[in-house]
Amino acid sequence: MAASQRDISVSEFFAKNRHLLGFDNPRKALLTTVKEAVDNALDACEEAGILPEVWIRITPTGENRFRVDVQDNGPGILKKQIPLIFGKLLYGSKFHRLRMSRGQQGIGISAAGMYGLLTTGKPVRILSKISRTKPGHYYAIQIDTKRNEPEILNGRGEGDEIPVGERGRQAIEKLGIDWVDVDHGTLVTIELEARYQRGRGSVDEYLEQTALANPHVTLHYVDPEGKATTYARVTETLPPEPKEIKPHPYGVELGRLVSMLKETKATTMMQFLTSSFSRVSGNVARRICDAAKVSPRASPRKIGRHEADELYKAIQTTKIPAPATDCISPIGEDLLLRGLHKLVPGEFYAAATRPPAVYRGNPFVIEVGLAYGGGPATHRVSRETLVELISQTDARTLRQFLTSTFDGVGVQAADKILHEAGLRRRTAPAKLKDAEITRLHEAMQNVNLSDGQTMTVLRYANRVPLLFQAGACAITQTVMATNWRSYGLTQSRGSLPTGPVTIMVHMASVWVPFTSESKEAIASYPEIQKELRLALQAVGRKLGMYLRRRIRVKHEGERRNLFLRYLGEVATAVSEINQTDREELYQRLLKVAKRKTRQADLQFDDRGRPIEQDADDFGGGVLIVGDDGAPRAAETGVAAETPK
Amino acid sequence: MAKKTTNQDQAAAAPNLNPRDQHTLEQLVALADAVVRSAQSGVDPTLKIPTRTLSNVRYNRTKRIIEMGSARSDRQLFNLNQAKSYMQTLLVASGAKKLIAQGKTTSLRGMFYLSKHTIEGTREETFDDQSESDGIIEDLEVAINVLREELHLYAKNAGAMVGEITLIDSGDTIDCTRMGSGGYSIPSIVEPEVVQFAECNAKFVLHVEKDTVWRRFNEDKFWKTHQCILTHGGGQPPRGVRRLLYRLHHELKLPVYCLLDNDPWGYYIYSVIKQGSINLAYESKRMAIPEARFLGLRSKDFVECGLSNSVKIQLNETDRKRAKQIAKYPWFAHKKAWQKEIEQLLENGFKLEVEALISKDISYVTEEYTPTRLENEDWLD
Repeated sequence: MAASQRDISVSEFFAKNRHLLGFDNPRKALLTTVKEAVDNALDACEEAGILPEVWIRITPTGENRFRVDVQDNGPGILKKQIPLIFGKLLYGSKFHRLRMSRGQQGIGISAAGMYGLLTTGKPVRILSKISRTKPGHYYAIQIDTKRNEPEILNGRGEGDEIPVGERGRQAIEKLGIDWVDVDHGTLVTIELEARYQRGRGSVDEYLEQTALANPHVTLHYVDPEGKATTYARVTETLPPEPKEIKPHPYGVELGRLVSMLKETKATTMMQFLTSSFSRVSGNVARRICDAAKVSPRASPRKIGRHEADELYKAIQTTKIPAPATDCISPIGEDLLLRGLHKLVPGEFYAAATRPPAVYRGNPFVIEVGLAYGGGPATHRVSRETLVELISQTDARTLRQFLTSTFDGVGVQAADKILHEAGLRRRTAPAKLKDAEITRLHEAMQNVNLSDGQTMTVLRYANRVPLLFQAGACAITQTVMATNWRSYGLTQSRGSLPTGPVTIMVHMASVWVPFTSESKEAIASYPEIQKELRLALQAVGRKLGMYLRRRIRVKHEGERRNLFLRYLGEVATAVSEINQTDREELYQRLLKVAKRKTRQADLQFDDRGRPIEQDADDFGGGVLIVGDDGAPRAAETGVAAETPK
Repeated sequence: MAKKTTNQDQAAAAPNLNPRDQHTLEQLVALADAVVRSAQSGVDPTLKIPTRTLSNVRYNRTKRIIEMGSARSDRQLFNLNQAKSYMQTLLVASGAKKLIAQGKTTSLRGMFYLSKHTIEGTREETFDDQSESDGIIEDLEVAINVLREELHLYAKNAGAMVGEITLIDSGDTIDCTRMGSGGYSIPSIVEPEVVQFAECNAKFVLHVEKDTVWRRFNEDKFWKTHQCILTHGGGQPPRGVRRLLYRLHHELKLPVYCLLDNDPWGYYIYSVIKQGSINLAYESKRMAIPEARFLGLRSKDFVECGLSNSVKIQLNETDRKRAKQIAKYPWFAHKKAWQKEIEQLLENGFKLEVEALISKDISYVTEEYTPTRLENEDWLD
């Protein structure tokens, strides 16, 4: 027994537990691979201050096999770092620091490489250039799962050098790599066993949502069928660079405090407190020491267990300013509105960025953008795409196909569409005939789903879309727990509200608390839930104002219509009784009606002056789109709540 | 193009109009002219309609009938809640004009169909069901102060009559002693133009509540043995029946006796015959019979006639409430006998139908009960 006990390497552990990293099934594996590569690319570009441009290409290489190429225009990677970054789990620059970034642990891309190796036996291939004038480097790497160490397969374990200029281009061509010619950047190629399928939780969806939350990014995407899509950037300015911060005293647990006391190089408590934590000034440090009855000049290394305990309590009771917020770069209300308007068709947009808050000493910012109106996903599908979707789906019935493929389509909505199309709910999608597909497509365009449509929730953590485990996520839970009825939407208890609403929620933080390593759901800390609730309520209020106003306008219109409808009848009846000329009477009545309703349209304030109806004060962060599709009233810009 | 024809031209164009129709037509045209006038002067077209609610009726103590008060409500075209009924009122007016001009009559249901159509350019119907048009017809009656018959409208026949009288209905002579088991069906329009009394040997009128009781009396030839007229109104008597009773009472000087169930509903029927109804308060003066008498059934009859327990019907909550309401009517409030009657009903806790007397004997009501009451003048007034 004892003899069989031995070390387990991280790589071995994750090779066996690949679901923890998001490789549970071939479809998700493809997404996770793309996601990890794109996230790394964006992080790298932003850290180097480069406007990111990313090329993503998925090429089928065989039955259930795809090659994923992701290239960026980032700074490139130093030669000796390349094998470690791509061939070693838990190797990275992001784990030990407190700074907002997409990646956190240093698992993602190497895990993707490992998965590729396990399923296809093909190594990860990396090509990186740091400048036009310096040679690039090419590596084929596989991970040694026993030792969690990279194994370089080419150039006798040293990698290949790609020369500068024309010779380099030929060399790249010989290697069979699709390199987009940029001065600097990195290309990762991973071949893996996967399945490509559009719809919910697909690569397409992930890229679209990434573009939404990253308005400064340009994405070029070529899907397995060779169709190219480009999401062009909306803004030319990079988000302000997030700064690395020290931990905030409120977020440090006792055990951590003790270890920090042991490790510090500071010689006095005063020095220790001010240098190891953020937001602790000399004054604050003194007050903490006073409260803990510890001398400010005591040596941190000599603080005993009991005194540490006192110190910990003192920190909790001392008033310390909230952590600095320049370590977080939220998207901002203006860009949220513009991004949403570009990707989600609608008539009303609202956004709110909360002031920074703290959970466990980690500052975070919650942002919410909301789009109302516009057709549901079913309206936007072309017939060709529908044929494709039908051929790819693994749903066994049409109803299942509709609900699983399109956002915001519930069982009721699906039934409505199928009824309209005259199709049976249980028909297998694969058995649809051509004419039936046409009917289904027409029904999808025609059926008004705004009643049966449920709110679409797009979740983001540090600008990365979260596509899975919606139910386990604090965002979804808080959206459901919010009472949307008071904002004019219908909602049954404990579920998402219905209506043509898309809501995007972004949590930006130096450390996003995920529920698992695959980074799919945010953990429910009470502080996070509170901020989520406040942000949701802020946009909810704006939506409520808009909807109420819309109802009011509709009522006025109905009122006028009502009168107009009856005028003709009245004129006819009167002329039948006393032979008056019908047309003339009708015109006269019409005149009176118009004057009457105009008067009725006006509401008066306390002093008897008419109130301008359009002057509802949304308090900023709102975009209203007119019938012509152009923004009609934009109250964008910096709202009162936007952090400085 | 201004108004081309004058009222006179209009009226003259119609075929053989009698003075009453002439008057009605003038009223309708005046209604339409008012709309034209307000449209020309840019004023909100408004109809003034006397309100037909309890708040706008009062009891005239000297005449002993319910009369309509002077309260009027405005019905405006440019008011969200009234626009549709305004339009409907004019549609009904136009329908009535057509009827009068063509010298035809129709039923309430006929008027519903005459005025019902889809509004141009919408899916909305001018009238959704008959109850709407019925209400509007009553509004029009009070608004231009004409009677339903004058609008050439009738309700469906309800109620029957037999007895010692001969009358002429639309030129046909009707001998009410030879009406078989069904009796003469009382039409809804019984105005002197339609119905004339030719010969009458009756000494009084006995009005019973329902067809079933009336059949018992007719089968036993009660009207022959007691020289009277026998009518029923099928529950709440319709206008035709009430108007006929009124004319029998006032023109032929026949006393009217009512034999109704012993329950709040029976009391109310009596109240309507005697004082008029709230809804048709404007017609009381030509329908109410303040001298009508309430023969039975009385709350005391259960004991007095020795009825068995099995004929009792328990009073429910609405019955009790209704009885208390009726007791407070000004025309009952000061009558000790009536107060006692209603008090006893509530005390009994049950109601009695006239049919209950059958439990004594099939013809108990015709041979025993009614003759005795009439003889002893044992009734409520």
